[in-house]
Amino acid sequence: MRTGDLWREREIYTAVPQPLNPPVKKPVFDHPLPPPDTIPPMATPVLELIDVRKSFTMPGGEQVNILDIGSFQLAADEHCALEGRSGSGKSTLLNVISGIMRPDAGRVIIDGIDIARLDEARRDRVRADRLGLVFQQFNLLPGFTALENVLVAMSFGSGRPDRDRAVRLLDAVGLRHRLDHKPSALSVGQQQRVAVARALANRPRAVLADEPTASIDPAHQQQVIDLLRTTCTEQGVALLVVTHAADVAGQFPRRIRLEDFNRAAAGHRS
Amino acid sequence: MTLLGIACRNIRQRLLTSLLTALSLALGVALVVATLVTGGIVKQAFESGSGLGYNMIVGAKGSPLQLVLNSVYLVSKPIENISWDFYQQFLPAAERPDGVDGTFAASTKTAVPICMGDYYRGFRVIGTNTAYFDRLTIGDGRPFAFSGGRNFRNDEFFGGVLGATVAAKLGLKPGDPFAPTHGADDGKVHDPFTVTGVLARTDTPVDRGVFVNMEGFYLQDGHAKPVEGEEASGQRTADSGEDADGSREHGNREHGKQGQAPLPFAQREVTALLLDTASLPGLPPELMAMGLRTAINEGRDGQAALPIAEIRLLLDLFVRPLELLLLLVTTLVVIVSAIGILVSMVGSSLERSRDVAIMRALGARRSHVLVVVLIEAVLLAVGGGLAGWVLGHLLVGAIAPLITTNAGVSASIFSAAPGAELLLVPFLVVLAILAALLPALAAYRTDVAKWLSS
Repeated sequence: MRTGDLWREREIYTAVPQPLNPPVKKPVFDHPLPPPDTIPPMATPVLELIDVRKSFTMPGGEQVNILDIGSFQLAADEHCALEGRSGSGKSTLLNVISGIMRPDAGRVIIDGIDIARLDEARRDRVRADRLGLVFQQFNLLPGFTALENVLVAMSFGSGRPDRDRAVRLLDAVGLRHRLDHKPSALSVGQQQRVAVARALANRPRAVLADEPTASIDPAHQQQVIDLLRTTCTEQGVALLVVTHAADVAGQFPRRIRLEDFNRAAAGHRS
Repeated sequence: MTLLGIACRNIRQRLLTSLLTALSLALGVALVVATLVTGGIVKQAFESGSGLGYNMIVGAKGSPLQLVLNSVYLVSKPIENISWDFYQQFLPAAERPDGVDGTFAASTKTAVPICMGDYYRGFRVIGTNTAYFDRLTIGDGRPFAFSGGRNFRNDEFFGGVLGATVAAKLGLKPGDPFAPTHGADDGKVHDPFTVTGVLARTDTPVDRGVFVNMEGFYLQDGHAKPVEGEEASGQRTADSGEDADGSREHGNREHGKQGQAPLPFAQREVTALLLDTASLPGLPPELMAMGLRTAINEGRDGQAALPIAEIRLLLDLFVRPLELLLLLVTTLVVIVSAIGILVSMVGSSLERSRDVAIMRALGARRSHVLVVVLIEAVLLAVGGGLAGWVLGHLLVGAIAPLITTNAGVSASIFSAAPGAELLLVPFLVVLAILAALLPALAAYRTDVAKWLSS
């Protein structure tokens, strides 16, 4: 446990477990942090970032720093909302965590494995086996049925595709009767349910959701958050949701702002 | 779900494009298969001319290839005739009126004379004797068989035997009369012959032949050689079909009627001899044939040609280059079709890039997406290739009657060029993989982060 790192993140840490549909709270980023002795000890982290830096070279040759993170941890059963403004590096951070991008420096430890040191193929395997991704646009494969979308994800993991488990996952998200429907025949909410089931296909240690409510109407937003949290709780999976919606972030027991611990995005802090 | 399953799903997702691509490939393959099979049939048509119970043709001096084409394959025009006396030189004493062995009798096992120059409704009429069907074979030593009737007897001057194609096409059966025409289909109509038998199909040029007793053939108008002192201007041209005046008679018209005496030997000629050379104990048969050939060619009376050698020459000089050219053209068609795969896949690369990015985000490795694209291409190639293979054989089946009639060999939907056809599928697979490499590499290099954020 690196409490100093947690202090730097300036988190709003809530010790009491939250209901699945907690009332929306106004973010209180500027409140003074609680004294160290009130912070509960964090369980073994499933995700840990240490001195991670990532920059891009612009077409004009200019080097732009996107990420400069001293430390970040996500415990094995933790649900966390990560807020940030546009351009603060949220998507880059998710790409680095999921191994799609390799950081320029630092360590990205997923379930004890430093993927920053791995080659691309091994990062792909870690992503397939230990992480589940949920996207803003759901990103279901349009030519595949709901069941096949889950099975495809399984086929890239280390285990054999398990049709029974895929059916159980879809059943758990209320889509037992839509197994053979293609995405085009599903409602927006149903598509997002398939995406959640797919994210859990390979028994991941953590689910990373990138703006999962951004492209759906407010009526469905709450359902999606409830679904994500409930399902991840049932499966014992950590959840990191990237969002720019304060009301969404307010429902999570842990809520952080990227600008607060990403030195490269400090200029974006409001 | 396996990579194969994913590839199948991708094909189904782009069903119309995939079907059109496969169809384009199928048409190319159908052309190749049809070319290969018909090329094989043509070669078979020529090669069927060997192993017929004779290994040498003796005819008038001139082109040996023309002699072979005319005598064996019943195409092209006869060169000239050889004299009756020269023919007699190949006969043993027992078959000669003078009871003395001919000069070449010792080297000859069988000598079958043929006389040509007449036609019957587009088919060659060949005057010969009973030995043609009694002593020659249809290949590999198999004797001639009759599907109806029998061979004509030597004393049936106006008896005839029809090849299977002739009988089938003209609807003739034993007992039916037929009257050949002189020199060409529109030439003077000869006295009628009677069908004594119809040959079972041989898949050789014999199927296209109308065989008549040469005694009756000699008795037709214009078929007798003018004897010395008789009408100096009466040049003998009957057998070559060059009779300038079809109405001109040759002084022996009275012999052209049934029951008349045979034509005197002095007025006879033959177009060619089909020879089976003898083989002496201890000597290879080829040596005997070579010796006889040299002896004949050194003389003035005629020439000897080896059908197998001439046909091999013809195949090497003309048929194989033509076959190669056709194969090249059709192969280009297949390559163009393979480029169709490339175009189709590049065309759908935008759609594919998003799917690839999603799969990569789910943990697919670059090698996975590369293999999926290649499997798609191979599936299209194999599917299109098999459809084309079936289509090609259907095409051959459709033109089979035409081939059978004109080439004298049986062709059907099941005719095949096994060696080349077996190579076709691996060739297609390699071609498809090459064509799919570009889109596969594009998929391999897909920028996941860019596509997921777009």
